[in-house]
Amino acid sequence: MRRLRHLAQEMMVPVGLVAAFGLWSARAESFYFPSLTRIVERFSDVWLFDRVVPDLVPSVVRMISGYGIAVILGIATGLLCGCLPTLRVGVDPIVQFMRALPSPALIPFVILILGIGDAMKVTVIFTGALWPILLNTMDGAMSVDETMLDMAKTYHLPARARLRHVVLPAASPRILAGMRTSLSIAIVLMVVSEMVASTNGVGYFVLSSQRSFAIPDMWSGIIVLGILGYVANIAFVRVERQLLYWHRGANGLAVDDTSRKLQI
Amino acid sequence: MTVLEVESLSKSFLAPSGEHVTAIQELTFDVAAGEFVCIVGPSGCGKTTLLKCVSGLMAPSQGVVRVRGAVVDGTPDELAVVFQDYSRSLLPWMSVEQNIQLPLRYKGLSRSEIDRLTGEAINAVGLGEFEAHYPWQLSGGMQQRVAIARAIAYEPSILLMDEPFASVDAQTRTDLEDLLLDIWRRFEITVLFVTHDIDESVYLADRVLVLDRRPTSIRTVVEVPLERPRDQLKTKADPAYADLRSQVFRAIRRQEEGFEDR
Repeated sequence: MRRLRHLAQEMMVPVGLVAAFGLWSARAESFYFPSLTRIVERFSDVWLFDRVVPDLVPSVVRMISGYGIAVILGIATGLLCGCLPTLRVGVDPIVQFMRALPSPALIPFVILILGIGDAMKVTVIFTGALWPILLNTMDGAMSVDETMLDMAKTYHLPARARLRHVVLPAASPRILAGMRTSLSIAIVLMVVSEMVASTNGVGYFVLSSQRSFAIPDMWSGIIVLGILGYVANIAFVRVERQLLYWHRGANGLAVDDTSRKLQI
Repeated sequence: MTVLEVESLSKSFLAPSGEHVTAIQELTFDVAAGEFVCIVGPSGCGKTTLLKCVSGLMAPSQGVVRVRGAVVDGTPDELAVVFQDYSRSLLPWMSVEQNIQLPLRYKGLSRSEIDRLTGEAINAVGLGEFEAHYPWQLSGGMQQRVAIARAIAYEPSILLMDEPFASVDAQTRTDLEDLLLDIWRRFEITVLFVTHDIDESVYLADRVLVLDRRPTSIRTVVEVPLERPRDQLKTKADPAYADLRSQVFRAIRRQEEGFEDR
């Protein structure tokens, strides 16, 4: 019963806003803000399920590929650099420069070498999503508690055991925080790369709808992207909660689902 | 038979300000097999540095530490350490059982050996029902018991303890002291126990080594010939206990007269 009430409270404002928009747009006859019924009509025509396979699926696949590579390489490199001081010192200037460079700036260059296909988009997503993960992993690996490392030394845990059982779990809260930021970046870059140079994808669909003045279609595309981001975030939070259950317990926070987690 | 020898141990550091800080100066002592030795000293005198050098976590600047005749270079296999801060030495992402088993997994033991040692250790500290719990679900005293269980499952012959009961309330502390004495007797280990608590040091020890202020060395040695097994009520009511306690106290307060100086 409490969960339903919670849900109702959460839904109150969004539903209210949508209803207000619906009422206003039905009367306003604005070209840029078509009526709600029109948008819903076009949404179900387009996205249920005509253009899911030609546009939504390729977009999601690109995003997951770029993000996935960023996660694997970011964590691996971050752990390596975090644990080996000489490597970190050498790599640091490059990392600091690259993370500061706005990723869209690299798009023309990537198009030059990879054309306008999937490889280009996945690469662009990767180059943007890598840095938060890498830096946070490095930071996490460097911040492992000294007492814990001493304990591992006195019990003669070999290096691989230290990495797997001490360093990686200890760094995981920071790593997951980095992965969360990178997820948002990955979605943004997916859309941007599709708008700049693509022949399919949701981002491409939004832009081409705008160019052909199919405004309700454009809005439907925007809504799909919003839903995509929202669902991705929820999925991430679920996974994070599972993986970091010990972290919340150790810090005195409630571990089970009866209390709502603050969405930061 | 001497199991631990510390000979002319000295340790200095380069402080951030650039000057040399000597934490330990020419410290020498021995520990015989099966002894329970306590080290007491004023705060900040270098007790933890001493323990780090003896356990091999830190190399001495001068002097040598030997365990069973072999020079210590990295922690010796037969030595286990129990740290003061249990919340930072137990792994919060592992259960009690997994924490205790972790060092055993890399000792080349069979699965059944590991299970046996873990089971014995958990029972020895009285945490049988809590195997599947996580450390942060337990009280402070219980967490320290997990750390002790982990140490004894490792089957060390020497146990090094760095103020292990300092972060625990007074009543729990008395339980843990008696638990430790019980384990010491049952498992026949040698214990080197660092503490700032004078009462505790006399209650537990065969011998109390009193450290100097920094740069520290052994100022005084107080033999504790009190009867064993020790008892929280009887032993502490014994006038000899009070007398030994004052000896240690005065030694720390630098007002010793007619004491054995080594």
